[in-house]
Amino acid sequence: MYRLRRPWTAPSTAAAALVRPVWRGLPWRVWGVAQGAGTLAAGLIRVCGGGPLPALVLLRAAVLAGALGLAFLLDDPARHTTATVPVRRVVRTALRVALVAPVVAVWWTAVLLLVPGSVRPPVWDITLEAGTASVLALAAATVAVRRTDEPEPGRSVATALLAGAVLAPLLLPARWALFVAPGDPGWAAAHERWAWVLAGAAALWAVSLREPRRRRTVRAPLRSAFRSVFRSPCGTSGLSRTC
Amino acid sequence: MTATRTERTAPVAVSTGTRNGRAAVVALAGFEARRLLLRLPVLLALAGHVTWIVWRTLRPADDFPVLQDADRATQSGPLFVGLAVMLCANQAALRSLRRDTERHFAVTSLTLWRRTAAHVLSVVPLALLTAVAVTAQFTWEAAKPGAVGRGSVAELLAGPLTVLLFGTAGVLLARLNSSAVAGPLLVVAFLLLFVGSASQSGGQDTGPVWLWPVVVTSGVHPFPSDLLGRPAGWHALYLAGLALTVALLAVLVSGGRTRTVQAALAGALALAALGGVMQTGGIPAATDTARSRASLAPEQDQTCVRRGASHYCAFPEWTPRVEDWARIADRVQGLAGGAAHDRPLLVRQRLEARYGLSDDAALDPATRPDQVTVGTSWGGDRVPEFSTAVAGVLVAGNERRAGELCDGRMVPLMWLSLAWQRDPESALRHVRLDDSVTGSALVLSGTEPLTMTAGQTKVVRALLHRPLADVGARVKAHWDELTAPGVTTARAAELLGVRVSVGGDRCTG
Repeated sequence: MYRLRRPWTAPSTAAAALVRPVWRGLPWRVWGVAQGAGTLAAGLIRVCGGGPLPALVLLRAAVLAGALGLAFLLDDPARHTTATVPVRRVVRTALRVALVAPVVAVWWTAVLLLVPGSVRPPVWDITLEAGTASVLALAAATVAVRRTDEPEPGRSVATALLAGAVLAPLLLPARWALFVAPGDPGWAAAHERWAWVLAGAAALWAVSLREPRRRRTVRAPLRSAFRSVFRSPCGTSGLSRTC
Repeated sequence: MTATRTERTAPVAVSTGTRNGRAAVVALAGFEARRLLLRLPVLLALAGHVTWIVWRTLRPADDFPVLQDADRATQSGPLFVGLAVMLCANQAALRSLRRDTERHFAVTSLTLWRRTAAHVLSVVPLALLTAVAVTAQFTWEAAKPGAVGRGSVAELLAGPLTVLLFGTAGVLLARLNSSAVAGPLLVVAFLLLFVGSASQSGGQDTGPVWLWPVVVTSGVHPFPSDLLGRPAGWHALYLAGLALTVALLAVLVSGGRTRTVQAALAGALALAALGGVMQTGGIPAATDTARSRASLAPEQDQTCVRRGASHYCAFPEWTPRVEDWARIADRVQGLAGGAAHDRPLLVRQRLEARYGLSDDAALDPATRPDQVTVGTSWGGDRVPEFSTAVAGVLVAGNERRAGELCDGRMVPLMWLSLAWQRDPESALRHVRLDDSVTGSALVLSGTEPLTMTAGQTKVVRALLHRPLADVGARVKAHWDELTAPGVTTARAAELLGVRVSVGGDRCTG
């Protein structure tokens, strides 16, 4: 097959054309539920009162709820058809993130404002935790998209994120503790570790953004079984792009 | 373009009679149970549960389990299995929506509410599997040679019933909200509940705290099973009623509005309400009286046995431990000299039960001559602590005076307590509060702690490094002078042939 030369402005034009359909295709309903739950958790702090520790626990639950919502960001039921658009996956993913970032920022600000100032943990530190959880969710979703053909990997990503959130406070040794209480002498050190986790997650995300050079190899028996049921969803004419 | 073609045989026509419907529900439940069991989160949770059981049961501190505590120690592990089952049951109930196969079910005899019933039933094998794990954990504890007491089936049921409750809650949520993120969010909410219940129930083991699925009041000192005051039976009924209610509610909201379902729902609600009300009633007055009696006048409840010259009195469930106590008391007494060598002792088990299970009140030292106190827990550091209590009574006459010792008598006391042990120096480290072997420190005993000065520590360590027979002969030869009130540590060291600078005692300055 021949590759056509395209003008250098083509990708940006195509990306601009994608804005509206991507906006419409974003999993808004999932976010509505997740962010609603997060807001509810933050609202509980205001309603029920309590000290800084319950407030932090509820705020962390809100962070987790928001991150669980973000795990569904790359879900695209039409993935196998949208793979053929002349825009690279980096651009498509970046577009989704760019569209959703303001919404998430506004939600997070609202959540923080819901927490009474007297029990609110240090804003930048808790925002660092929230950012890390979000980037981890995004990185996991990106890895799932890259490694599998699943159009909606959000469910598995959310499960993995949840397992991490349950197990990390239980299994992390004290010197690597991430979930410290307010007023704990290890708060600053723990947030340094949070920053490292954020950096690692961001790096993982950046590495996984690019499309794999070769199509993922599926084990032979599985592949033959797969082929007998489905045709390749990405076309069979030797496209250099995979989906 | 080539059209995608899938070839499938047409489904066999089925009649939709009640019997067939029931058989189809059971068949689907079996299929769903298999799928649920093979989901990665469930497999990981089960593997984690087994690992936790093995790790917990193999701890050396757990060599002498008290079974009325071991039964409720099985309850917190299944919580995580329950969370995994909740998530996966929720996702399984949403699978047909996610995969867009909902309309295919229209051609089968399975209506939505029957499929919901199958999903609810698919949780039951997981609960049974948890029951097997819980039973294995308890049986392992009960089979240990040092086990005493008796467990309760109701306490063992709490874990599996929690898994059932959580699984059905996942299915109910799927029918109430079809969002894929709702299941994970429910898990977050339950996690918050755990954290909340853990912080709320700290120190409290009665009243509304029993409305949480699992109430593990980790007692520091085991209680006789009659004094526990835990409404375990009512709680199991409450959990079962709640799980049934949630399951039937899921069937009801998916369209199963038959009279049978409605009647069963009413029954389940009544069960849950009955259990819920009865379990929050607080400690019965009879238990309170029994707790006071066991704390203030334990001799009324205890059985006494004689070993050698000494008597050992214990709550009936602890009588198998008498042999262990007698062995240690004999070893310590064998090292003592003078009249103490053959003096009959009274080893009495004591317990402070008046302030509830989670209370960690220290026992008052006994004032009766030659009475030694032993607690309800055993194994680990409790053994050298008992040894110290015996030595204290032999040296000072009674427990209260032993707790007030500040002179050179601490040297023979600590030597008696430690010398017979396999690794005396590490035993010394373990009985001292700060785990040190130099300097001054508090020494733990069954009742009041004792105090060792830096000089006494030096002398005792020097004695422990010398042959047992040599020091033993000297202790016996100088017993009366070593245990006379007012003997200085320097004098005790001199009598025992140790030359170290010891400094002054606490009472002599």
